[in-house]
Amino acid sequence: MHPSADADPADGPDAPGSDRRRLIGLIVGAVVTALVIVLLVVGLVNRSASTAIDDALEAGARPPAPDLTLPVLVSGPGLPPVGEDASLADLKGKVVLVNLWASWCGPCRDEAPVLEEIWNTYRAKGVTVLGIDIQDLSSDARAFIKEYGLTYPSLRDGSDDSKSALEATGVPETYLIDRKGRIALHLAGPVSSTEQLSGPIDQVLAGK
Amino acid sequence: MPRRLAAFVAILLSALALAAPAMSLTVVEVAREVRCPTCNTPLDVSNSPAAERMKIFIAQRIEAGDDKQQIIDALVVEFGRGVLTTPPKEGFDLVAWIVPIALVVGGLAAIPFVTRSWARRRRDDLAPEISAEDAARLEDELRRDDG
Repeated sequence: MHPSADADPADGPDAPGSDRRRLIGLIVGAVVTALVIVLLVVGLVNRSASTAIDDALEAGARPPAPDLTLPVLVSGPGLPPVGEDASLADLKGKVVLVNLWASWCGPCRDEAPVLEEIWNTYRAKGVTVLGIDIQDLSSDARAFIKEYGLTYPSLRDGSDDSKSALEATGVPETYLIDRKGRIALHLAGPVSSTEQLSGPIDQVLAGK
Repeated sequence: MPRRLAAFVAILLSALALAAPAMSLTVVEVAREVRCPTCNTPLDVSNSPAAERMKIFIAQRIEAGDDKQQIIDALVVEFGRGVLTTPPKEGFDLVAWIVPIALVVGGLAAIPFVTRSWARRRRDDLAPEISAEDAARLEDELRRDDG
């Protein structure tokens, strides 16, 4: 019997069908590996905090403030009632001092009376102090507001959207937003006195 | 006999009564299902100020008689679904459960095909090369045998 009669040439490893299968397998493997690598890289890049806002401010530019939409914790002029969603865009045309805070944060306790003083000093001049409570239980946040007698409006952010949009690394952090909705100042850490912010606020109010 | 049965039931009930405190919901049981919003680690191993406040919240809800799911739901309302340590088994989040299982099943199913392909290639590599002259002589001898 002839040995070649047993072996089908199409079954051999060098047959065109086998080559095609091997090529498809290689392509699928390469695509899956590339996808996993891309996902890992995207995850790593997103994990490291962006500093685009600080970089722009350092270069003398005013980056646009992110358009945040969050539920109202304490309402104020130009904002919808408690529980309804408010957007930073609603306050465009006003000078806004955005302050990220949490009830469990010690420095936030120190600066709360200072922010209340800034609000009382500048509200008649068209400045809105706007707190954004993050990483906090809403009941704790309400108790904090009551304890310090805060009358400036606050929004509530349970899912950290504002923290990542504003590139904050923790609490407290404060941002001064001009009438065109651009960030004019970023202060990481507590506001220690009214004088610390009166200069920049006056400048922004003067349209500088 | 009924007296023995009554005694057995009494012992069983006492054992269950003793075990009851151990079976009640604990803060740790709920805390391991959610993460700390400031440190991103499971709440039961976090001791940041935010985590401590959340543990107090959980203890208060247990005290008020809420079950595990009710407390987790309340924390999701407060912090969003990102507070969960594992994605829920519904909607788009199902992808996170299905994809790893599908990959494992696919990998297992591919093993027979891959091993067969490797075995075929190895068999081919072991086969000796035959020169054209030897092949012709082999053909010749086989033809003679058939004849």
